[in-house]
Amino acid sequence: MFLRIVADSFGRRPRHKLLTGAALALGMGVATAALSVSLDVGDRLAKEFRSLGANLLVTPQADSLPLEIGGVDYRPVNAGAYLPEVDLPKLKTIFWHNNVIGFSPILEVRVSSSTPRWSPASATFVRPAADGDAVLVGTWSNHPVALPDGGKFITGLQQTSPWWRVEGSWFQDGAGECIVGKAFAERNGVIVGSPLYLATTSSDGLSLKVTGIFTSGGSEDNAVVTSLSIVQQYVGKPGRYRRLYVSALTKPEDDFARRDPKTMNAGEFERWSCSPYVSSIAYTIKQVLPGADVRVVRRVAEGEGAILTRVRMLLWLVTGAALLAAALAVGASSAASVIERRTEIGLMKALGAGSGTVGFLLAAEQLLLAFVGGGAGYALGIILARLLGEKIFGAVPEPSLIVFLVIIALATGVTLLGSAIPLRRASRYEPAPILRGE
Amino acid sequence: MTGSRATNRAMFWRIIRRLFSANPGRLFVMLLALGAGSAVTAALLNLQVDAKRRLTAEFRAFGANVVIAPRNNNQTGVDDQTLEESILQRIPSSNNENGVAKIAFLYFVAGVTPLNSVDSPFESERTIQTVVAGFEGAKLADILPSRNARVLFSDTANDSRACILGEQVAAKLQENSSGVPLRPVIHYRNLSILCSMVQVQSFGGPEDAYVFVDMATARRLTILDDRISLVQLSVSGTPERINRYISDLQKGIPEADVHGIRQFTEGEGKIYDRISGLLTATVGIVLVLTGLCVMAAMTNVAMERKNDVGLMKAIGGSVRRVLRLFLAEAALLGLAGGMIGGAAGIFLSIGLGKAVFGVAARPRLIVYPVAVALTIIVAILSAYPLRRLASIRPASVFRGEA
Repeated sequence: MFLRIVADSFGRRPRHKLLTGAALALGMGVATAALSVSLDVGDRLAKEFRSLGANLLVTPQADSLPLEIGGVDYRPVNAGAYLPEVDLPKLKTIFWHNNVIGFSPILEVRVSSSTPRWSPASATFVRPAADGDAVLVGTWSNHPVALPDGGKFITGLQQTSPWWRVEGSWFQDGAGECIVGKAFAERNGVIVGSPLYLATTSSDGLSLKVTGIFTSGGSEDNAVVTSLSIVQQYVGKPGRYRRLYVSALTKPEDDFARRDPKTMNAGEFERWSCSPYVSSIAYTIKQVLPGADVRVVRRVAEGEGAILTRVRMLLWLVTGAALLAAALAVGASSAASVIERRTEIGLMKALGAGSGTVGFLLAAEQLLLAFVGGGAGYALGIILARLLGEKIFGAVPEPSLIVFLVIIALATGVTLLGSAIPLRRASRYEPAPILRGE
Repeated sequence: MTGSRATNRAMFWRIIRRLFSANPGRLFVMLLALGAGSAVTAALLNLQVDAKRRLTAEFRAFGANVVIAPRNNNQTGVDDQTLEESILQRIPSSNNENGVAKIAFLYFVAGVTPLNSVDSPFESERTIQTVVAGFEGAKLADILPSRNARVLFSDTANDSRACILGEQVAAKLQENSSGVPLRPVIHYRNLSILCSMVQVQSFGGPEDAYVFVDMATARRLTILDDRISLVQLSVSGTPERINRYISDLQKGIPEADVHGIRQFTEGEGKIYDRISGLLTATVGIVLVLTGLCVMAAMTNVAMERKNDVGLMKAIGGSVRRVLRLFLAEAALLGLAGGMIGGAAGIFLSIGLGKAVFGVAARPRLIVYPVAVALTIIVAILSAYPLRRLASIRPASVFRGEA
């Protein structure tokens, strides 16, 4: 009989139920979409922040102090220490190997260039009158790193310095090619396709072919960039590099992350090293690169942390506001549906139903509605979240079970709360005045 | 004629008053739904306008994004490439209401020796060569974000000649210092200066190998009056604003090389676009769905008015007048709900702005009428399904058929 009354109530007033259900579904749709996006946004934005390039800098521990001004190191070539290139594949074997999205080793040397100038008048290359100074940077552009597990990891400057813009093409590894900075190119009249001759005081000349001209907006605009192996050979340091830039996906640092790991107890240390904080990734990298000093590039890491935290909070607030509005509207809708049924309640009571039974009956109806409406709202919200994710980040958020459970619980809670006050009043109704229409 | 119109109008408002007071429960429910929608609309619109502006300021956590350097930088020496100090005066100190922080640097390579009570001063084998940077203008932290700042030594009784040591310099100087507080002496040519306050900071870049001193100290050592090596600016604003600022600056200071630090200008631009897109889309969807949700709830209530419509028609009300009555009721409800909710929403957004950005969001007055108008529209639209009741026959309503 109980089920029959519930079924009958749905069958008899389909439009009312539909509208209440629709309000519920729309409200829960808002909640689902906002929740899914908020849950996902941290990871997505962390990826976006990698367009700022490397956030970790590895240098030899035994290095002498660099005399670097405006990106140019004024130390003599043979001063300072180097790190072995063979250790680099280990970066993809650490606990956080999936968070390391790129790294590029750097070996620099100051050279003088005697570059044949392109003369538009004669359409030939003309030897310059005076030699200019330049920095020759050896690094990777798109270098395959053979991993211990047999796989390959392609990395290099294109991952760690994604803001470089190259006219022409990047150099090929070990092919005797190079790209030159825009300022260098303008000063020396270099165009794409030019041959380039470089020399140091200590060694023979080196000739390279210019395949591209790049702008970085930094000191590199005065440099010549070529593959690491060429520079290693040229300065007589095979298999060595001096600096390593690592770009890693991180979690914004909180107060806990900023503590010195040496002061933590075992449990805290485990929690610290199991969170992808930039400092704990730095710590793990230091473990696999002996003799290296791993420092956090504060400019990048701090800014990233600050902004990610803000954006996250902002989205949670938007989500909270959406949840609140949805809850109030849905609650109002359920309240309305109970208020309007005074006569029905009066009749039931006149026929001998107790207050408890009536309340239970109406609550069961609302619950059924909450499940159906909540489910439909979840489906709607997931579709919206997908559209949103695709449009903004080009990737769809994963539908998660937690969101589903939260939404169903919310729908139930909101409908019950919304109908609780009118239900309480309904249980106190005296049947006679209601049926008389008073 | 005029008399009957006046009576009609008086009757119209009397019915409206009765409609409101007849069922306070229903009135409360409708006001709640409309008010909630309006509050969220006002709060989100206000926050949305404010958040974008604040985000551009947040990006300054990255430090400098524009550099002014000597133009003919062919990298032959360290301290022979300088700029006139007077260009500092030609840098506009604000970019269309957005702040600009600027610091001028003067770089030179000098010897630094730790002075402590154990060793004799100027012990030559412990002198290290390092880059010393004199700076003036804004706070160093505005241009160069750092971490773990700690004061190693402070003797403020003397004149406060503060030195900020990069982490690497400090570590090198502290080797074999046997726990004595580090107190460096900077020598350049035949002059030397003792730091009276020493702070160590970690920058995570080449600056870790620098010693920062104030510009006056740097000038006293180098005797390079009115010359500077570099100016770094931290310019806030939307990506377009920053680009315009840079191109204005390029025109204003033609003798120097003015450029944006691409790593940050470009990265910030990309991230700003993403975040503001995300915010706009989320707010848009939330607003549309909230509107629909409120509408569905209101329609549900409106559909209950079948009896009222039937009665009015039975005693001779024309469909248009009956409908006008209900639309007026809805519009009034929308106005009331919108005004209460909108005001609540604006206060809400002030609080939310404070929670996210630490500064209260500035209330935009335009948001309030927009929220109220939207609420009225939603309320009227949700009463519109009553039009369907125009076709009902009063008799069948009273017989309880329809």
